[in-house]
Amino acid sequence: MTAEPTGFLYPFIESEERDASGLVADLASSARAKMAASRRLRATTLDANAEAAQRAGEAMAERFRFGGRLFTFGNGGSATDAEGTVDLFRKPPHGRALAAMSLVDDRAVLTALANDVGFELVFSRQIIAHARPGDIAMGFSTSGDSANLLKAFEEASKRQLLTVGLCGYEGGEMASGDLVEHCLVVRSDSVHRIQEAQDALALQLWTTVQQCLTEGSHP
Amino acid sequence: MSVQIDDQDLLRAEDLATASLTLARRFAAGATMWCVAPEWPSHGRHVAVEFVHPVIVGKRALPAVHLEGDDLVGAVRSLARPGDVLLVVGGADHLHTSDLLRRAEAWGLTRFWLGTGRRPPPGLAEHVVWVEGTDPALAARSGEVVLLYHLLWELTHVVFEHPGLLRDEAACEGEVCITCSDQGQVGEVRAVRPDGRADVVVFGYLEGIDVSLVDPVVPGDLVLVHAGVALTTLDPDAASDHRVTS
Repeated sequence: MTAEPTGFLYPFIESEERDASGLVADLASSARAKMAASRRLRATTLDANAEAAQRAGEAMAERFRFGGRLFTFGNGGSATDAEGTVDLFRKPPHGRALAAMSLVDDRAVLTALANDVGFELVFSRQIIAHARPGDIAMGFSTSGDSANLLKAFEEASKRQLLTVGLCGYEGGEMASGDLVEHCLVVRSDSVHRIQEAQDALALQLWTTVQQCLTEGSHP
Repeated sequence: MSVQIDDQDLLRAEDLATASLTLARRFAAGATMWCVAPEWPSHGRHVAVEFVHPVIVGKRALPAVHLEGDDLVGAVRSLARPGDVLLVVGGADHLHTSDLLRRAEAWGLTRFWLGTGRRPPPGLAEHVVWVEGTDPALAARSGEVVLLYHLLWELTHVVFEHPGLLRDEAACEGEVCITCSDQGQVGEVRAVRPDGRADVVVFGYLEGIDVSLVDPVVPGDLVLVHAGVALTTLDPDAASDHRVTS
């Protein structure tokens, strides 16, 4: 492309920027740095939560062994993590398929509850309807403060469900007190990096559950 | 997990950079991004919510829609407009994905394909960003796939900070002009007329095309079109790189 004849007078005006090669190089370098940051955070998160994840995985396996089912929930991107985790447990690439369902799947139920009783109760009301003692409630929240997750965990504890929480930042409400029995925290303040590390944690939980169930069946 | 950056990462970072530039330009020109993820619908939903409802306050909301169901071809065909974007998150071995991507070329969509596992053959998407050589089902949940579209979102918004670079290059710039060259274009037959011609969608626009040189076609068939003539029909399962030069 030929530059406008007067373009040389204003080389620093951004709207006159024409050559994308510098930007593409910057973008690639930014992508490399963020990939490295994501990997580092996932590695340090798995490390820092190793014991807690092992305990949580063992407790989940124990529930599954006696017929317990997994209910997952979260909002926005975390709702999709809840859904992806259900896919992993119910349709695993190998190992045992386990009973799991996400409480974000049914739009009729979600909108009915949100409309009639409020969004804070969309998960807890489903826990009331579906859960039995021995089941598992697993919630994803980057802030750890989502009101509808806190309500769901409250209800789940009351009904003797195993509670597992994945959260970010400093853990928020989910990590304070005994609301959530097994709370795994990703220490970061980037929502994106937190979600990537939460994926890795959920995969680790699934791996531990599968190991426990395999060991359990072949003592 | 290795925290080192390797050659694959360097390539992936460059692919993400060029993909983000194109994506920002398409959005700036008014495109909607249609997202599909037949094997992992949760990733399709995640990437759409990422663009529609940014996690960073002040970033613009961009039109992205996740589509799912048994008839993805029908859904994208009816909703997408020429100039829109098709984003696929998924592996290379899903037959319906290849068919959808091939048709999307006829519909005039710019195609992005993010995935993991075996790298797809060339020619099915303008931008391919891939995590290679891993167990796809596990990689899909390890954080590596979500990282791809998080980065695509982050870099696309960086491009928006450079308004001078948001204009698409004109079609006739550079060494080869697609319109004037000898390249064949993929077209999708919409209706067959009795006079040896057919209504065919090429680059998203309906054209009357001479189909007398090819075997009888029916609506939905893909043909390779050059200068108003269908040169051959395309087998939906055929190799993907079907551009020919005469």
